[in-house]
Amino acid sequence: MIRFDIHRAAAVARKEVMHIMRDPFTLVLVLGLPVLLVVFFGFAIDFDVKNLKLAVYDRDNSRVSRQLAAVFESSGYFLPSGAVSPAGAITGLDADRFSAALLIEPGFGRDIGRGAAARAQFVADGADNSKAMAVLGYLPGISAAALRKFSGAAAADPVPLKSRYMYNPELNSRWFVIPGLAVIIIGLLSILMTALTVAREWENGSMELLLSTPLRPAEIIAGKIAPYVVLILGGVFFVNLAARFGFGVPFRGNLLLLLGGTVLYIVAALSQGIVISVVTRQQQLAMQLSMISGLLPSLLLSGFIFPIESMPVFFRYFTMLLSPRWFMETVRGITIRGAGAADLAVPLLALAGLSAVLLTAAFKKFKTDLEP
Amino acid sequence: MKRTLLAFIKKEFVQALRDPRMKLILFVMPMIQMTVFGLALSSEIKNIKLAAIYSPGDAAAARLARRFTSSGWFVPAASGGAQDPAGLIVSGAADAVLVFPAEGFARAAARDRGGVQLLVDATSVTRARSVEAYARNIFSAHAAAAAGLPAYQPPFGFDVRIIYNPEMESPVFMVPGVMGMIVCLVTIILTSMSLTRERELGTFETIVSAPLENHEILLGKTIPYVVLGLANSALVIAAGFLIFGVPVKGQLWQLFCAALAFVITTVGIGTLISTISRNQQQAMMGGFIFLFPAVLMSGIMYPVENMPALLKPAVYLNPLYYFTSLLRNIMLKGGDHSAFVLNMAALALMAAASGAAAYKRFRQTLN
Repeated sequence: MIRFDIHRAAAVARKEVMHIMRDPFTLVLVLGLPVLLVVFFGFAIDFDVKNLKLAVYDRDNSRVSRQLAAVFESSGYFLPSGAVSPAGAITGLDADRFSAALLIEPGFGRDIGRGAAARAQFVADGADNSKAMAVLGYLPGISAAALRKFSGAAAADPVPLKSRYMYNPELNSRWFVIPGLAVIIIGLLSILMTALTVAREWENGSMELLLSTPLRPAEIIAGKIAPYVVLILGGVFFVNLAARFGFGVPFRGNLLLLLGGTVLYIVAALSQGIVISVVTRQQQLAMQLSMISGLLPSLLLSGFIFPIESMPVFFRYFTMLLSPRWFMETVRGITIRGAGAADLAVPLLALAGLSAVLLTAAFKKFKTDLEP
Repeated sequence: MKRTLLAFIKKEFVQALRDPRMKLILFVMPMIQMTVFGLALSSEIKNIKLAAIYSPGDAAAARLARRFTSSGWFVPAASGGAQDPAGLIVSGAADAVLVFPAEGFARAAARDRGGVQLLVDATSVTRARSVEAYARNIFSAHAAAAAGLPAYQPPFGFDVRIIYNPEMESPVFMVPGVMGMIVCLVTIILTSMSLTRERELGTFETIVSAPLENHEILLGKTIPYVVLGLANSALVIAAGFLIFGVPVKGQLWQLFCAALAFVITTVGIGTLISTISRNQQQAMMGGFIFLFPAVLMSGIMYPVENMPALLKPAVYLNPLYYFTSLLRNIMLKGGDHSAFVLNMAALALMAAASGAAAYKRFRQTLN
């Protein structure tokens, strides 16, 4: 039976608020850092690679083959420059001087003129995953443009496909990056906040002091978490302002739904911080564990950039244990697609479940640690 | 080297490795992370949920939809027979919806050249572009045949070859990059709090009163972490080779030089953070403020080559960017001489700069 006195929890919260107020560093950090990082990386992250250096080895040297190189150049994605031999082009790739190579064999222009199936070889740099994927994504557009140039509209596909991008017709990558960044930064900051403040209290003995009072663990935890939830929500508010008005990221869903999801997510992350601090009881280890359990998993396994659908089955299930993964889905769903509660039932329930589990773990750990 | 310094270094080693949890963080966690990220990550797009909407009895449309799912990239969406394409995408049930004309695909194709529409969920921009490209490829290869028209062969196309990773194996793509991230993370979190902690606990005074010169204290505090960071790099590279079969085509001494310069740089930066910070909380925030941008701008998450000119210097100041380039080049391309020298020079410069800055700040702290 958990006995819980709201007044005592409020007293702990008041004490925590005083701590925060006394140390302007924390205040500035939580309110300012997320928006700073979001703005910086909002500008910095761009999935469109332009001006990629392309080595062109044109053995054919006909009007048509020169046209092909021109199509690459006019796409804006590539900067073609001549190579003396295929081996020279590959050496350029070896030395990171080129990102891709185009090799055109003799007879290319003649084949195109006859309407025979002409092929050109395109070599992509497989050592750089991010660039290789971008380059391969451009090729269909380039070959369609080249076809139009070679033979006019006559060679068009007999059964064309019309495609439409929904929710982000311009394919503006900022709409995709900024909500994702916010999810990761807010989560990490929340984990670090409690992991460190509670670990510090263990380290300098003030937690022992707190425990010798009639306060119960649940009251301490609630009192510790509540002020940070409010503080971090303040940080989230500024991030949303920057996203909406600085970058023009649309907001198409329900604000209350987003607020609810955000609170669940923050509680989950703060609880994770408390669990870490109770287990380590030492600031240095607490930070190390927070970084290890927070930084790389939330950057790499949350679907922020690397799609979850492409992971092997085991890891698709594994990511379900990570709250950033669910919150990522929620935030992108609400802001970009305008998804409602029914559409997001699974991620929202998962978030609620994870934060309940982590909160219970924090409480249980706290309790077992007290009893001899 | 003086005996006192050796003894000091030994003491630091013992101290760093005493805590079993620390050993876990140093040696077990990197292996786990390496395995998880090496296996899980892939920038390739698979398992695209596709819904096809056509009138019942439209055999041509059904034939073409089957072509999509048998390609391996698409899986049928759990549409539950829903006929509202936008609804399927909002709810996340489908990533893409093929909408065939109501009069029947074959008839529409014969008369007015198609009328098939593809709706793609562009919430994720990178994914949307690939989904569209895959769908277009499959469609143009099979649409005419499915509709009973003469097959269409475009008169021009590319033969694409992906060198250094012809099979497009994701570990080959990911492991060199993830490796750099892990070594960076471990060295920064080990060093960024070390001195701050000693100062907070008061043990720093003891060290200062020992018969050691300033630079000896700094060396004693950093050499163990450089060695641990190198051991860590070796471990991670071995894991990449043994578990994932990621090749090391270049020379081992090149890898060693790259790792040494990188580890000195990050240990220098970590020490700098720990001398600047007044308490451990600030040290940790300092570590976070370095790590987060370093990881994001390393070239693993997204291409950093065409960042806005104003922000580009941030990439050139990122040691992880050079280390990642070196790892990729040495492991996958064979360590081309000019690329190696260029990146090594940048990294060595950063190692020297961060070491000097750490030493300067350290002396100020002592006095």
